[in-house]
Amino acid sequence: MVVGLREFALRTGDGSPALDESSGEELMHVQPSVAVALGDRSVESPGTLYITSRKLIWLSDADVAKGYAVDFLSISLHAVSRDPQTYSSPCIYTQIEVVEDEDEEDEDEEESNGVLDLSKIREMRLVPSDSTQLDTLFDVFCECAELNPEPIEEEGEEENGHNWVFSADQMVVGGGGEEDAEWQISQSPTSVIGHSNGDESIAQPMLELQINDQRFDDAEEMVHENETKDH
Amino acid sequence: QLFFSYFKDLVGQEVTVELKNDLAIRGTLHSVDQYLNIKLENTRVVDQDKFPHMLSVRNCFIRGSVVRYVQLPPDGVDVDLLHDAARREARGA
Repeated sequence: MVVGLREFALRTGDGSPALDESSGEELMHVQPSVAVALGDRSVESPGTLYITSRKLIWLSDADVAKGYAVDFLSISLHAVSRDPQTYSSPCIYTQIEVVEDEDEEDEDEEESNGVLDLSKIREMRLVPSDSTQLDTLFDVFCECAELNPEPIEEEGEEENGHNWVFSADQMVVGGGGEEDAEWQISQSPTSVIGHSNGDESIAQPMLELQINDQRFDDAEEMVHENETKDH
Repeated sequence: QLFFSYFKDLVGQEVTVELKNDLAIRGTLHSVDQYLNIKLENTRVVDQDKFPHMLSVRNCFIRGSVVRYVQLPPDGVDVDLLHDAARREARGA
């Protein structure tokens, strides 16, 4: 997966873009006669917009080597823009997520030495010559965005799978009083239990008890807290 | 799933969505999905100077993963209820 806008020039025999069928990428919509404007640059046309289940591709009709693509995962926002004062033609306005470059002070700099860096483009407009198609395009964009949720990271090897922090106590690494000593040995509640004995059948109910400890400092809970610390 | 249910109840209310790129958009919450993708209507940009291109936009779709905050109407939130629900959800109840 590539973040941001990039060049795309892989075409099949009929001029349509080559898709990654092995990953199940499908063509969802084709809109001919669409111009594209990247950032503050002037509009480029004529071209054809291909919307796939994974990304958006614009291919120039005039220049077979020219084309752009951006994954829906990188499209932060999209909208229909109709105000003639803001932009001369009604269009689909999109914001593209870019890789943040810490060294770069001027975030708007897309061109340096005359060479356009597509990966820095943050805004893109798609201008169909048929503006009645804008709402359809907007809906297709919504559909495809929904098809591309954030990929879920692998659940951890821990039994509970979550890495939620419930209180600042869990973050203690060094220092603290004696009563915190047990927590310093381990980095997660489950391994504290593992230290005491390796019996996993005990781990689950014990884990819940300890989570409760994290959450509440009520006086009545203190009894439980003392019990577990003896292990 | 808690926040999905919570936002579904907020549909129709005015919210301000602040994105991770600092753009803040105010609008009426039109719909939300399980990934917390948000559709707003009657949008207006809070900081117009920074993002002039957004001025002409009235409806938009915002990807859930780029949202930093959603500012809620103060009287649209029952804090205690939300607090308890969040606690229960985190415990896996």
